[in-house]
Amino acid sequence: MDLKLSPFPTLEKQMPIEHGRFEAYVDNGGTVLAVGGPDYCVIAGDTRMSDGGYGIQTRKYTKIFQLTDKCVLATSGMQADTLALQKRLKTMLSHYQKEHGKPMSTPAIAQFLSNTLYYKRFFPYYTFNIVAGIDEKGEGCAWTYDAVGSHERVKYASQGSGNQLVIPLLDNQVAKFNQQIIAGGNVTSQQAVSFVKDAITSAGERDIYTGDYADIVVVDKDGVHWEKFELKLD
Amino acid sequence: MTSVGSGYDLYVSTYSPDGKIFQIDYANKAVENSGTCVAIRTKDGVILGVEKLVPSKMLEKSSNRRIHHIDTHIGVGISGFLADARQLITRARDEAKQYRQVYGQPIPIKVLSQRIASYNHVYTLYGSVRPFGCSLIITGIDQYGPQLYMVEPSGSCIGYFGTSMGKGKQAAKNEMEKIKFTEISTRDALKEVARIIHTVHDEVKDKDFELELGWISMTETNSVHQLVPQNLFEEAEAFAKAAIEEANQ
Amino acid sequence: MQQHVSFPVFGQNDYFNYKNPQTLENRMPVVDAKKKTQDPIVTGTSVIAIKYNGGVVMGTDMLCSYGSLARFNSIQRMEKFGSYTIIGAGGELSDFQSLSNTLNDLVTLDHCIDDGSKLSPSEIYNYVARVMYNHRNKGDPLWNSLVVMGYQNGSSFLGKVDLVGTCFKDDIVCTGYGAHIALPLMRKAALDNPNMNLEQAKKLIEDCLRVLFYRDARSSKKIQISVANENGLEISEPIELDTYMWQSGEAAVKSFSQV
Repeated sequence: MDLKLSPFPTLEKQMPIEHGRFEAYVDNGGTVLAVGGPDYCVIAGDTRMSDGGYGIQTRKYTKIFQLTDKCVLATSGMQADTLALQKRLKTMLSHYQKEHGKPMSTPAIAQFLSNTLYYKRFFPYYTFNIVAGIDEKGEGCAWTYDAVGSHERVKYASQGSGNQLVIPLLDNQVAKFNQQIIAGGNVTSQQAVSFVKDAITSAGERDIYTGDYADIVVVDKDGVHWEKFELKLD
Repeated sequence: MTSVGSGYDLYVSTYSPDGKIFQIDYANKAVENSGTCVAIRTKDGVILGVEKLVPSKMLEKSSNRRIHHIDTHIGVGISGFLADARQLITRARDEAKQYRQVYGQPIPIKVLSQRIASYNHVYTLYGSVRPFGCSLIITGIDQYGPQLYMVEPSGSCIGYFGTSMGKGKQAAKNEMEKIKFTEISTRDALKEVARIIHTVHDEVKDKDFELELGWISMTETNSVHQLVPQNLFEEAEAFAKAAIEEANQ
Repeated sequence: MQQHVSFPVFGQNDYFNYKNPQTLENRMPVVDAKKKTQDPIVTGTSVIAIKYNGGVVMGTDMLCSYGSLARFNSIQRMEKFGSYTIIGAGGELSDFQSLSNTLNDLVTLDHCIDDGSKLSPSEIYNYVARVMYNHRNKGDPLWNSLVVMGYQNGSSFLGKVDLVGTCFKDDIVCTGYGAHIALPLMRKAALDNPNMNLEQAKKLIEDCLRVLFYRDARSSKKIQISVANENGLEISEPIELDTYMWQSGEAAVKSFSQV
């Protein structure tokens, strides 16, 4: 009897070797926003730092960084890059102060940040920034950026994981887009603060990367004023 | 000085007819003009003492240190030009660090001393350089126990039970001859070092000086080189002053 | 043909490395063909730590795995650096050893400077964070999650740094599976007992490591617990965790219900 040999079993195709490639970027989430008024600017940012997924690494990491007495930087995105960017700006502003004998103005900082981000165009800081404060005329001002330095001066801005939730609210309430009845008169800084609190609370309601606490910062002619505000811990 | 004007003392690349390299002798002169440094090796440690001459009352105390740490287990005392010594100290620290990186253990004192000596020696070979105007006493504890070496501008490196360099080196050596190095305790040696420095100090020529004491011991400092703590320092200095007082009566 | 012998002439050869006479390291040839860590080989798992009333407690197990193989079962994953700081590491063991060497050089230099100031936990934490971030910028990360803890001048320090340079300080810090399993337990425990004492904190760490041992397949029951407080630093001897009895049959079923 012939023995029929079955062919030696071979793998149909080579299984790919599992390669956990190094991922240099992490999105730690978070929402920041700013509203400029006639002589003040209100900036808010939550303090949750996520691990890139569902985990919360810490509940008290502030995303807002004071650059001068008239200017703050609010950043969401990757925390490690944020820290590096903050350190870099801090040293460069210190150099400017020493060379020019005065702090850099807010509009100058805005341009400088753009240059700094663009310089790293091909290995960007994974950061989404808002520069906000008061300008040389004492008026509230804000700039928003993408990760590689495109920027625009705006009346109000939001960035980060809750951006999509916050921006329509700002369009409606600050710019008064598409409103039949336009409420007149200027908004005071107190009104802006309570409005900004509502905005970030709302973001925290729907966005899982936003929550825990919020820093509410008011920049006016007297300087930078900080306030802590509670969000939901869920 | 017979060498002056002979032309043989301008470069280290030239020997004199009787076989000397005068630049090395001159470097030794620089060491001899400096404050005295003595060291004593005991059974379980090494004591370093330096007579730090203070040229101005306006100098802050503890500035211009003459005892330095090289690694946790090594300390050096210096005589001669501070700036030259600083170069050697930086080099010694790099050597100690590199040895740790390569072999994963602290550098033996002998190895470090020989490497520094080789470094010194290179500066006695070429016409475009001058020897370092300083000597080092290298002290420490390694796997072979307490160690004491002296490295000189010529590139020599010799181990000792006790040694001295600087202005009062001869007087200090005479004082040290009475010490029984294999019997003396580290604390007693500390007092002896303080006494010797105070004894050899020349009140007439150099007015002010600050005593600097460094030590390393297996029992007292857990084999870590450090400056002698304030209370022991004061005790040793009081002992030294009392001993001199007694001798003068 | 006679070979022309050329003696080194000073000035032609850079014997003294005039370009950089200060450091020995800069004389080393630069090795450009380097292999970058794309994935870790021998790894430790979670590190967990919590601040208590008067100090900090940290715990790790002592296993270092080779993939899924329990390869080394008695490796200490916490190290002291200077007089005030302990770092616990998860991830690639060799990278942690390399970092340890770097930090010990720093501590030795700090000793040599001898200016009366000692490296503080927060200084070491910031240094480590920069080292990790700079490595990730080169695409050559140190594949670790590090927990830095310490106690100096009456205040506790606790922070975490990871392989991309993310760093933060908090009262409770966990890495790896600890961040999923132990962290919620510890947050709850801290909420229930805000003024935890040393014994309670140690117990909490031990309990959490036990839970991790039950669920994390890369963990072991041989652990160490370290403490930083006003008495200085202490890393415990290896501790064998009490776990349920691993018999088969009825006894196991019974003891499992006690878990």
